[in-house]
Amino acid sequence: MKLIKILLPLLLLMPLLSDAQCRAFTKNQCLPQLDGYVQNDNYNSAMLIPGDDAELLLTFYGGKEYRLVVCAHPILGSVDYEITDTNGDSIYRGNTAVGNSFDFKMVNTQQLIVKLHVPEQKSSVSVHEGCVSVLVGSKEAN
Amino acid sequence: MHRKNAFGYFSLLLGLTMLLASCVESTDKKTTQPPVQAQLDSTEVARMKELEKIFFSIPSPVEMSSLIKQNGYQFDQGKLVATANVDKYTGESRQAVMLGIYGADLSYTAIFDQKQLTTEYFAAAQKLARQMDADGTITPELLERLEKNQANRDSMLHIISEAYSDLNGYLKEKDRVEVSAMVVAGGWLEALYLSTQYSGDGNSAMRQRIAEQKYSLNNLMSYLEKFGDSPSLQELKTDLGRLQEAYAAVAESKGKTSTSKDESGKMVIGTTSTITIDDAALSKIATLAGEIRTKYSAL
Repeated sequence: MKLIKILLPLLLLMPLLSDAQCRAFTKNQCLPQLDGYVQNDNYNSAMLIPGDDAELLLTFYGGKEYRLVVCAHPILGSVDYEITDTNGDSIYRGNTAVGNSFDFKMVNTQQLIVKLHVPEQKSSVSVHEGCVSVLVGSKEAN
Repeated sequence: MHRKNAFGYFSLLLGLTMLLASCVESTDKKTTQPPVQAQLDSTEVARMKELEKIFFSIPSPVEMSSLIKQNGYQFDQGKLVATANVDKYTGESRQAVMLGIYGADLSYTAIFDQKQLTTEYFAAAQKLARQMDADGTITPELLERLEKNQANRDSMLHIISEAYSDLNGYLKEKDRVEVSAMVVAGGWLEALYLSTQYSGDGNSAMRQRIAEQKYSLNNLMSYLEKFGDSPSLQELKTDLGRLQEAYAAVAESKGKTSTSKDESGKMVIGTTSTITIDDAALSKIATLAGEIRTKYSAL
């Protein structure tokens, strides 16, 4: 127990971008899922651990179609994600085990929030970290 | 010292401190220790703050340029920052802002099918990235791919977006998050400037898109606040702060979000929120965008 008390803070403080693996994972495993859409220039990927929460505020333009991809390394298991408006009202909920992308159209320009949660792994003794990427692609609405 | 190293040393120090604390506990049970939960809470807060520096996004310049084209406007090379002086920009922060500016110009040339110019701007971006020791992303191979795909505008746009996203990721990975933020700021500024250049005729779509940049600017300013106050960052924040003051006149009303499904089952999201800009605010924003962009691009 004492060892866990000592090691857990160290694990929590591990550099979030400890290696290039996350970028390579994003490029090879996640980016192809934006096929047919133009990728946003921003890179939103980090090494997360169970229990982590992250949020991303995004602006979506009216008259466009978007694909949001939440791409998580399998070592983390299923990662939960939710899209809300800025009032906090939920628009969409998903998890990466069921489906990791969400396609939608915007009527008018609006800011939305993407919330991520990596569930705790109760059965696991060790703490795993894994890459989670949020990708956004856009195209003109049909 | 790089933040990553500092972080590593801090972790090691924290670990040793806690190890010592635990040893003390074994010899003297009455020694007071900070509660473990409090230690965990503070490390979690530190971690969340680091995550907030990574998860950040504003729409890419491509989305602004495509609206210019959609509205039937013509390409105008005179609106761009010339690539001839690319070697003369010095200092990491200025180079970062310029890399963003060239990125927005690159998107503009690609959207308008200016094949030769797109290659030129890509090469200029590559040069700047090399000068900033960030050339692991905008590579000669990518430039070659761009040249080979000149017949396909969508492919060119994909390559440009991929290059800039990869650059953004590379800088974040190398613990140069602040520099990556400056690149994004430069791209946003130039995209705004280009849009204002096409807003003089009262086109409502252009006006609306410029008004909507209030969201991105507020998001960008909040993001920049997460970093230290280096003189160059402070200067950038002051410059963008002038724009933010002008944007205060852009009126917002908060509404409700609605969702429905189209015939294919795709979700359609709408809102009753509105954002509007009057002529005076538009004119002020256009002037300021030009001034600030010239400040960074002039030699």
